[in-house]
Amino acid sequence: MKFPIVSLTALILSFGLLTAQSPDVVIYPKPREATRLAATNFVARSVSTPHTETAAKVFNDVLWADLKFSAFFEMPSKSFYPLKLLRSPLDVDFDPWQAAPVDVDFLVFGNLEAETAGVVVEAYLYDVKTKGQVLGKRYSVGDSTLVRKIAHQFADQIVYQLSAGSSRGIASTQIAFSSLKGDSKEVYIADYDGSNSRTVTANGGINKFPGWSPDNAELAFITILSGKSRWELWIQNLQGGRRVLPMPTSYVSSPSFSSDGKQIVFSGRDKGSSNPDIFAADTAGENRTNLSSHRAIDTSPTWSPTSRQVAFISDRSGTPQVWVVDSDGSNLQRLVTEGGHCDSPDWSPDGRLIAYSWQAPKRWDHDVYVVEVASKKIFQLTSGRGSKENPHWSPDGRHITFQGTRTGTKQIFIMNADGENLKQITAYGINEGPAWSGYFDQP
Amino acid sequence: MKCGLAIGLNLVLCLSLVLISSSCKKKTLSMARPPAPPIPSVGDRPGTTKSAPTIKVSASPSTIERGNQTTLSWTSTGANSILIDGGIGNVAETGSLVLSPGESITYTAIAKGSASDTRSSTRVTVVARRDGSVVSSDLEGLQRAIAEGKVRPVFFQYDLANLSPEGKRILTENARWISQYPTAVAIIEGHCDERGTEEYNLALGDRRALAARDYLLEVGVAAGQLEALSFGEERPFSACHEESCWKQNRRAHFVVKR
Repeated sequence: MKFPIVSLTALILSFGLLTAQSPDVVIYPKPREATRLAATNFVARSVSTPHTETAAKVFNDVLWADLKFSAFFEMPSKSFYPLKLLRSPLDVDFDPWQAAPVDVDFLVFGNLEAETAGVVVEAYLYDVKTKGQVLGKRYSVGDSTLVRKIAHQFADQIVYQLSAGSSRGIASTQIAFSSLKGDSKEVYIADYDGSNSRTVTANGGINKFPGWSPDNAELAFITILSGKSRWELWIQNLQGGRRVLPMPTSYVSSPSFSSDGKQIVFSGRDKGSSNPDIFAADTAGENRTNLSSHRAIDTSPTWSPTSRQVAFISDRSGTPQVWVVDSDGSNLQRLVTEGGHCDSPDWSPDGRLIAYSWQAPKRWDHDVYVVEVASKKIFQLTSGRGSKENPHWSPDGRHITFQGTRTGTKQIFIMNADGENLKQITAYGINEGPAWSGYFDQP
Repeated sequence: MKCGLAIGLNLVLCLSLVLISSSCKKKTLSMARPPAPPIPSVGDRPGTTKSAPTIKVSASPSTIERGNQTTLSWTSTGANSILIDGGIGNVAETGSLVLSPGESITYTAIAKGSASDTRSSTRVTVVARRDGSVVSSDLEGLQRAIAEGKVRPVFFQYDLANLSPEGKRILTENARWISQYPTAVAIIEGHCDERGTEEYNLALGDRRALAARDYLLEVGVAAGQLEALSFGEERPFSACHEESCWKQNRRAHFVVKR
């Protein structure tokens, strides 16, 4: 595990038969018939203590939010639930859970016990129709502040099981972004829901456009240190240590790792050139290849998930539009032909779609759109107040993070990939340029 | 070429450009260094007017690193007056001056007699500093030129990196000032207004800085004196969200590299 904040002892007690249909992963990630899920509040295992009450509240809120945001389930309101508390499988009477208005396919319940020294959670997922157990897990950690982490892990397990493996769940993923601190902008990482934010850089410069390595071990971003007259491309290891990739000029922007982690693509400028081009290089910054070579602005590159193509922004046609080129520089084609200003393309994990921001002609704000690569059809995902920029896909391709100004300042939002379920995850200062990590935990 | 162009613009510009142009050394005057106060001329003396005067001028050392000093020495006989160009003026019949020319220059001394003049020239070659170091007076000079608005920013239209005729005029004047402090380096910062996206604006700011840099190179500024750097929309000069501020923020801005 690349992110050893928590060591979990998970004990899979038994598995039931899966009856849930796997929904198609499409831009509008709604299965024809949604899986109905109830997630009851976890209760104290034995005696209720203030510690346990606090931990239970956090666990229940986080688990509910994770399952709701996963976009896999229809979840009837807790106010409809039968009143009987479910502590263990022995407590469950399945009949009222199958009756209207609850009428769910699956039922989540469990118990927990917290002390200063740690927390123990027993968590269950049952198939209501077959009355069979799908998941039974016991989590034990030595720090009760990690109860959030346990809730995320269990939510991911539920999603993984009930989606028949089409998603590993995004509840344990993280989002990197750039945050204004005084005169500087530092790179931060937070849980996908905005909690637990922590700083990655503290160099007092401007640090922007973070991108994750596929193993989540490193972040690539650009930095200009105070008093320096060049942008640098940094690759920062999250366990410590960094390297600065050599660049011939003062301009470098928008780094993005290839899916095998061996290459990086970025916007840069060669000596003697007067315009930014797209370059691919190895992760030491060597073996540069110019993929775009044009007297126009070429920036904001993103790899296709196979690393065979790169999408980027070029204004060679007059205004910045989305273009695609093979990773050897051949087969250049324009993907978006709507005019206006496009920026920040990001290729979906299944390779079918590219999300980007678009300022329509004569419009003021940007909105997030996706273009289907094969058909070049475009879909609008956001609307309403403020400018929405820098979209980035979640690793399961069912969600998108972006920065929006609807509150007056740039803040980070997450939403379903169809534009629904919008959620603001930062509130203070100015936060921009979000990048969603890959999966952290093995299913 | 440069001189002719400058005369076309105005005389003052020409006079300053000849200082940095070795091809126009006949009328060399200095804008940067005011002429030294006139030294009383040798004057007429009986018996010196019949034959042609003699004059010998030399510089030691004849090659200096930029910012270093050379001693210009001369001796003459039989002259009514001695004039040395390069902004020095009338001098005594024998003497020396410690000088620190910014660029290679030929000093010509003219000994004026009653019947005829005699000339003597010496060349001082100014080379780049071997250690690449900056002369602090250049740094301060360029800093002052920027602070006093002699080196000025140039502004751009929305979403464009093209120089306007006004922008080119400003850059031509900037070039003159930057060249006067040859060991100082000017950073040309490209800036954008807040409209448009961050990634595109960082690239657009780069093009704006490069447009200004390329024009300065064209009008003769040494490449080693210029660095281009984009700030995109990261460092706005004015904070409001309308054109009155935006136009201030679409600029190529000059700062001294420290």
